[in-house]
Amino acid sequence: MAYSVNISVEAPIENQIQEISYDGQEIYQSPLSMSENLAKLAQKIDFNKTVCDDKKEVETDKSDDEAASKDSSSFQSSLWPWDSVRNKLRNALTEVCVLADVLQIAKDKRYMVLDPVPQEAPETKPITQVYARKKALVGAAAVLLNGAERLRTCQNEAARNRSVPDFHIELLRLRKNWRLKKVSNTIIGDLSYRTAGSKYAQTGMFEVSKAEEEEPSSPPASPSPTSPPQPPPPPKPASALRVTVPSELQGVAYIQVICKKDEEDLCSAKVQLMGAGGAGAAAVAVGAGADVHWQQRLEAAQNVLFCKELFNQLAKEAVQLQAPVPHMVVGNQIMATVLPGIQLIIGLYHSTGTEKGARGAGGEGAGGAVGEGGGPAAKSEHDHVLEHSLHQLLREVHHRNTHHPFPHPSSAPLGPSKRRCLAGPTAADRHQLLEMTKSQTLLEQIIEQTQHFFMRLRAEYVLDTIAKEVKDPLIVSHWNALNSPTQSCVKINIITHGYDTLCRTSLVVHVGQKSLKCVCRDGRVMHMSYEPQELRDLIFCQIYQHQITAVQSLAKCMGWTYLANSSHLGIGAVEQLGNASSCILASPIGDRMIAVRCEPAGGVQVAIAQSPRKDFFSGQLVKERKWENLGGAFKEVRWDKMEGKNFLNKMELLMASLTSS
Amino acid sequence: MGVTVLQQFPMGENKTGPQTIEFLTKRVVALGAVQCGQFLVDCETYMSVPALGTPRTVHVLHNSEQPASVFSLLETGTKTIPLVADGLFDLLMLKMTPIYTSKKQTKVESKGPRFELTDFVIKLGSVTMSQNFKGILVEVEYRPCVVPANCWELLREFLQGFLGTCVQNIPPQYLQNRMNDIYQPMDTIHQYLDHFTMYRKASGMIQYQ
Repeated sequence: MAYSVNISVEAPIENQIQEISYDGQEIYQSPLSMSENLAKLAQKIDFNKTVCDDKKEVETDKSDDEAASKDSSSFQSSLWPWDSVRNKLRNALTEVCVLADVLQIAKDKRYMVLDPVPQEAPETKPITQVYARKKALVGAAAVLLNGAERLRTCQNEAARNRSVPDFHIELLRLRKNWRLKKVSNTIIGDLSYRTAGSKYAQTGMFEVSKAEEEEPSSPPASPSPTSPPQPPPPPKPASALRVTVPSELQGVAYIQVICKKDEEDLCSAKVQLMGAGGAGAAAVAVGAGADVHWQQRLEAAQNVLFCKELFNQLAKEAVQLQAPVPHMVVGNQIMATVLPGIQLIIGLYHSTGTEKGARGAGGEGAGGAVGEGGGPAAKSEHDHVLEHSLHQLLREVHHRNTHHPFPHPSSAPLGPSKRRCLAGPTAADRHQLLEMTKSQTLLEQIIEQTQHFFMRLRAEYVLDTIAKEVKDPLIVSHWNALNSPTQSCVKINIITHGYDTLCRTSLVVHVGQKSLKCVCRDGRVMHMSYEPQELRDLIFCQIYQHQITAVQSLAKCMGWTYLANSSHLGIGAVEQLGNASSCILASPIGDRMIAVRCEPAGGVQVAIAQSPRKDFFSGQLVKERKWENLGGAFKEVRWDKMEGKNFLNKMELLMASLTSS
Repeated sequence: MGVTVLQQFPMGENKTGPQTIEFLTKRVVALGAVQCGQFLVDCETYMSVPALGTPRTVHVLHNSEQPASVFSLLETGTKTIPLVADGLFDLLMLKMTPIYTSKKQTKVESKGPRFELTDFVIKLGSVTMSQNFKGILVEVEYRPCVVPANCWELLREFLQGFLGTCVQNIPPQYLQNRMNDIYQPMDTIHQYLDHFTMYRKASGMIQYQ
């Protein structure tokens, strides 16, 4: 052999294609493992043939030397089963080497020349070709026809069910607003507030299924489907989708907040998430059955869940809280004393859908008295502020559960407030840390808000009645538009009509939860309790102080001098409210004097004195005229007979008439 | 938070630590103070490994008056850097063991009863270094005031009133430079560290830089 040629035996790199589908996709065979490959290669070897050849050889050998060779060959074959393979490979190698030699020689073209052998062209039979093409076309046509048929049936189906919305479209819409997941063959939804931060134990699972259309659609389907004029389909279920809500979440629930004063309703607020729809109407709608749209059903169920969580939380707190007047939880009602004589009653009302209408409002609630009849009446005095507060309180709890203040290091625990996070680096002491641990429960907050609501109501009432009663100085109150649920602020201006630039008494009243704080212009701060009478007394005192200060500033304008003033006069009868205040004014040349005395209960008294008197008669005691300059006795002016629109106007006129040029 | 003065109380010749504390407790109670629990200030010192170059020392202190905070003072040789952090700092120091190693035998703490007497808080601490009794530190805080200069005279008089002549007429070295600054919790820690350092040096057994 001229050349030694290396032969390598290896599997093809690419995987074999098992099948090519009609859309051109190739399905590959998985590559063979080493052992499989070996087995496959071994399969290709025709062992029978080689064994036969061997046998022949053995037989021929037998003739030569029987015993030894047979022994050796059998021994050899048993020793190495691949001997025949090796032989074949060697033969092949020999042949390939010979071929290579031949080709090498032929390439030189000196000793050997390769000539093409004339070959006759392969006989092509046109009829066979046509047949083969026809067969291929028939196969392709069958595939296309099959697909067209399926599309047609699908379209027919859609055309027939055009009035019925598609289940999958509905499901898509459902998924936009609600959380769904697939558990084996059912679709389960969740309407709990877990993801929003709720920790309420009750699950809000509901099941989504395809609405059966047997009952409504079977009557028209029973006549022969071939009849072309199909009658218009009867009213089918509005949705191809059916939601199954657990029985404890069915129906409509709401939380009613009533404030009672001496066994009499003061106000009541109903909390419901239904928004536009009133509780009664929604109850009727949901109670009517399953033909309500799933969106409304789910919203109602979620509302039930929310109300239950809210009430559950409130009831838990009512039992735990240590109040001076203990809170009572009876059935589905919580009673808490807000202010002496005023009770806050929070009730959970749940009407299950099985009962018709809102008649069953008290079905679960202890306060069943508020039924259908009480509904609209209670709704008319619906308090939006209290309703809103109740909404917010639980939502805030939810929000806090999910939103932790930034930054929160990955190594630090989640949950503490921002102030608590900063307590370490700012070296907060024990007292500050203790303060941080205090937090208010929902019930405490709602009680505080209710207390504030009543305080505000009372303050408004007191101010309005005083403004109505007292006409002379005008009382103007400005309520701050911006306030918190537990604190608001009112600014009170006391002015006299026509003299408002002359003197203005202003004070600010902070309305808190159980007390009022009044800040006067001069910086005095007065704290008052929840009794409205205290505010009333304070305002009256301020009114009469205003009169005295206004007279003094008016006197300045008129050129009069004031000789003395006292805001707490120690003489005269004991006032039932506050102290009388007074001032004494002297005319520009000092010959006339006016004394004004104001008492919150008694009104205003004005007296005048003249000195010296016009006529002087010397007596035994007063011998000279000069003593008359000391001033004489005061004479009271009949104030109600005076001209003038109001007190200051009368004073102005009086001063003007007494001023002698 | 008010102004705090830390004062060492000399040990009697033949008195043990608990006896001295008891003796002081009697005096304080006689003044009308009411015991309000216990207190604890501890200090652990970490040294940087030699591979880090110039040696640095980190003192980590806790004060039961500020339970949420961890105070640390880094001494670089040229200056001292104070830091107030929250409790996670302790965990951070555990992670720093390849760089800062703690000397367990230098852990110093001062603990004892805590008294309140109207505006004053009095703490009688017995100082121990790795379970060995070292001495008595008396801490007095005057809560309504935050500027040392304004209340040093009052504090001095109060301290001399029940501790006697061991209280000097001049303010402690640390406060002298800060008499008109607003007093911070870190200032208390500084005073404790100064005293702890002195106790460590006094022992003579442990080298302290």
